[in-house]
Amino acid sequence: MSNTTLISRRRFLASTAAGTAALATPALVSAQPTEYIIGASLPLTGPFATAGQLISPALSMAEALINQSGGIGGVPVRIPAEDSAYVPQNALANYQRLLATEGDKVVGYYGDSTGFMKLVAPELKGDQARLMASTSFASDLANPAENPYQFLAGPTYEDQFDILLQKIKADGGSTVAFVYSNTEFGADPIGFGKKRAEELGIEVVLEEVTKPQGADIPTHVTKLAQVNPEYCIMQGYVTGVWPQLIGGARQFGLDTKFMGTFWGMEKLIADRVTNEAGPFLEGYQGVMPYRYFYDTVGAPKYEEFGAFAKANFAGTPLENYMPTWALQFLCGMELMVEALRRVANDGNELTADNAAEALAGISDFDTGGFFGGPITMVNNKVGTGRVYEYSTSDKLFKPTSDWLTV
Amino acid sequence: MINGNLKTTYRADEQIFDNFYKKLFISLALAFAVAMPLFANDYVVLVASLVGIMLIAVVGVNVLTGYTGLISLGHAGFVAIGAYGVTIFHNMFTSWGMVEGIQPFVAIPAAVAVSAIIGIIVGLPSLRVKGVYLAVATLSANFIIIFLIELDALAPWTGGRVGITTPDPSFFGWVVDTQREVLALVLFFVFATVLLVQNLFRTRVGRAFIAIRERDYSAEILGVSLLRYKLTSFSISAACCGLAGVLYAYFFARILPEQFELLLSLQLVAALIVGGMGRTMGPVFGVLVIVLAPELLKVILSATMGDSIQAAQFRAPIQEIIFGMLIIGFIIFEPLGITHIVDRFFRSLNQWPFSRG
Amino acid sequence: MGVVLQFVINGLMSGAIYALIAIGIVAVYKSTRVVNFAHGYVIMIGAYLYYTFAVLMADVPWLPAWYAAWEPQWLLDQRAGAQMFSVEKAWLDWLSNLPRIVIGLILAIIFSSFLAMGIERYTMRPLLGQSSFAMIMVTVGLISVLSGIKGILWTGDAASVPHLAPNPPIRFELFDTPIFIFGANLVSMIIALVVFAGIVLWIRYSSAGVSIRAASEDQSTAYSMGIDVTSVFRTAWIIAAATGAIAGAILAARDGVSPSLGLFGFSVLAIVLMGGLDSFIGVLIASFVVGIIEALVQWQLGGGWVEVTPYIAVLIVILIRPHGLFGQQEVERI
Repeated sequence: MSNTTLISRRRFLASTAAGTAALATPALVSAQPTEYIIGASLPLTGPFATAGQLISPALSMAEALINQSGGIGGVPVRIPAEDSAYVPQNALANYQRLLATEGDKVVGYYGDSTGFMKLVAPELKGDQARLMASTSFASDLANPAENPYQFLAGPTYEDQFDILLQKIKADGGSTVAFVYSNTEFGADPIGFGKKRAEELGIEVVLEEVTKPQGADIPTHVTKLAQVNPEYCIMQGYVTGVWPQLIGGARQFGLDTKFMGTFWGMEKLIADRVTNEAGPFLEGYQGVMPYRYFYDTVGAPKYEEFGAFAKANFAGTPLENYMPTWALQFLCGMELMVEALRRVANDGNELTADNAAEALAGISDFDTGGFFGGPITMVNNKVGTGRVYEYSTSDKLFKPTSDWLTV
Repeated sequence: MINGNLKTTYRADEQIFDNFYKKLFISLALAFAVAMPLFANDYVVLVASLVGIMLIAVVGVNVLTGYTGLISLGHAGFVAIGAYGVTIFHNMFTSWGMVEGIQPFVAIPAAVAVSAIIGIIVGLPSLRVKGVYLAVATLSANFIIIFLIELDALAPWTGGRVGITTPDPSFFGWVVDTQREVLALVLFFVFATVLLVQNLFRTRVGRAFIAIRERDYSAEILGVSLLRYKLTSFSISAACCGLAGVLYAYFFARILPEQFELLLSLQLVAALIVGGMGRTMGPVFGVLVIVLAPELLKVILSATMGDSIQAAQFRAPIQEIIFGMLIIGFIIFEPLGITHIVDRFFRSLNQWPFSRG
Repeated sequence: MGVVLQFVINGLMSGAIYALIAIGIVAVYKSTRVVNFAHGYVIMIGAYLYYTFAVLMADVPWLPAWYAAWEPQWLLDQRAGAQMFSVEKAWLDWLSNLPRIVIGLILAIIFSSFLAMGIERYTMRPLLGQSSFAMIMVTVGLISVLSGIKGILWTGDAASVPHLAPNPPIRFELFDTPIFIFGANLVSMIIALVVFAGIVLWIRYSSAGVSIRAASEDQSTAYSMGIDVTSVFRTAWIIAAATGAIAGAILAARDGVSPSLGLFGFSVLAIVLMGGLDSFIGVLIASFVVGIIEALVQWQLGGGWVEVTPYIAVLIVILIRPHGLFGQQEVERI
């Protein structure tokens, strides 16, 4: 049934609403706003509070540095954050509240979870759409055909599995176990991982689902020991479970090599575990899309961040080191602001459509050091990463592969 | 007792709106409800819709807990079934090639019916156990429903852990795809549900519920079939929650299983306790408090502590503590809820200057 | 066959911890007729207290050095010679952590007990004689309050804490099957069972225990017989908090401290109802049964199913035996 032929109730409602809106706010002329807003939801409380709290100082840093270099087309940017407690509908409410109160000033958003990004995706249409980066590297989000507004400032979890499996293949491995949390974050790349492993001739000997927190470590270790895989890739954890699992396996005497993806690659967590429970993370490997913060050679952006952090975060853990999660945020901002600036420089309005188009056009772009070299947005993601290995003696993640692009 | 409640005919005694004040109140509420989708700004539309959706669900919980006296800590499960049910039915009808304009007329009743049926199944333990056992049984049912929705084997229909995109219903060509339009729909159903449930308690069924609440074995001896009426109560209450779920699905463009977990169940019961159990207006007051308190808290906190991230960090825990304190405080100090406070207020107003509140 | 044994043993070990948690719920129910829905959150607070005193406090500069790590010369010498992941190393590591483990556990128990006394005094006592609905809902309200307090005092850290006991791997053969156990888990199981048995015997034979049982029979009669019922209630809550703190410390060491401990309490509640609210032995059996079933489910069906196992089990049991496996049917008079 076509709804254009009827003078529908909906149209009546819409026109009435528009009429009243026009009456109520006669001065609604699209002048250049005094500021742009890039909103953010962060998990400041809840299960991933550690991550959210470590990211949050990067917000003020990004705000200051973007404004130092001229904002977006001369207009200053503000980056307010709200807590989501890692509950997708809270983040959605934050987003909708921000749009309802700030309207067109909002030019971008930073989401806090895969769940939120999926929840909000179908809402992004018309004047509700904004360019959106997030903490998530979920594979479904890199889909410009369906959802041009959301992008990943790095490789998807599937890409990361691909990189790890290729590394395993290159090192001559033949069996792998997947251990993942019972969340959408954990399950994301598993289907792809199985397929990819089969292509590479690696046997997936175990797929183990655990609770995202407080998992029953002895039973999981026992199951792992029964199949005794050469490699084990863990997915869907942030601060918990993966260190305990590795610790348990080492005490068991397993010599399985453990690997993680982006969210399991934080130096602060690895250091803390090493300090508390001993050096059993030796040899832990994983994929990280960016350079670590201490790898400043040829990374002018990192030096800039470092100088800012020294001046402003003295006395906090961030004084000399930016966590990987903060780098993810900063890289997301880098790409988002670049796209918005391109739109502004062309003299166009900062609509989500224009921004998405500019974002998709980023190619051979020098991010100033986040990645090994210039990057190109393909399918709204940057499919680049590198395998690092943790060393407990000097407490650093060191690269064990070249930059791989998949 | 409220003045102006003098009844001279049986007909007057049977009226729902039996006095001037009630008539005035309902007219004002209706006028307000009609004005809301037309004039309110986006933010108010957002909050009002959530209030409406929650209200329908709490009215459902009220039937079971308030009127029949059975505790449930698992009603979020029924909301989930309504939300997923309507989405799945829409997808099914579309694949059958049913005309879009009539889909919701089948999908909404079907989803509500499925909720009601599952309500009967979940209600089965209520025939044998009461109190804490029933609370745990319903809690378990909630966990199991969410588990089934997340189950990989059912993911082709439910979307699994990553959730599912919900349809925009089309009523004879009126496509309800903005929040403003859904609000109109929600308000319609709010009035319909509250009136229907209010009416229910003028019938034999409703009185049977109340008899069960007062003392179930006595009720049975008086000829009230516990089997029949406990399950009826469960199914009506689940149906209301199912309807709330349907509207939830229409309101949001996508739903995730984790939205229907324990937290929502607790909110439903908390709203009922705060508002007042077994009273028509109880759910209304309760939901207003439960939904608006966090919004108010946000305003207060940002006024006192500023918008900094450090302040934002404390908002969620403070909100949780206030939520818990509301439940505990009302149970200890005002077990009959806000309705009772309002009653007292009007009574003292009415009897002024002879009353002391 | 052999593999099954391994999982059964794993199940028994987690079952013992369930039993330790469950005793808190049963003790409170037996004396006050309150089913504590918030017990999981009391445990969570206990775990975070242990984490605070055993891990966070170790960094406090004005505390003596032995608090963070007790390292006399002989211990350092021994440890330098010990091999990574060896039994000897595990013992030595434990020894050097021992001061903060012991102090942490004791302080966690003390502070948890204060918390429980506060809960009892300010939320439970005003409700004496009220309906079970009111009591249940107050504990439900407590869930939010405790979880909010946790959110203000501690961030969402899923951090590691030291085990209560040395954690060397233990290997042996049983019916020709190699069996593997973590040392700390074995000790935890023993601690759990000893505490469980101790409390059951104490309630059975001590005079305070007799008061508890009397109060559970009939509060007003107990009052008139000169039993201090309020002190009975307080004792019951303290038992719940103390066992909860021990269980919290064990769980935190095994799986890491995290807010998910609170949700864990709901599955234990399901176990308690399965066993029968007022039966210690029933609850013990139910704990072991669910522990074993969970381990087997984890083995065969994977982690997603484990989370609902206790709930499915309790639904089945409630439908067949409404008052649990060993619970007493309450006789209702009109």
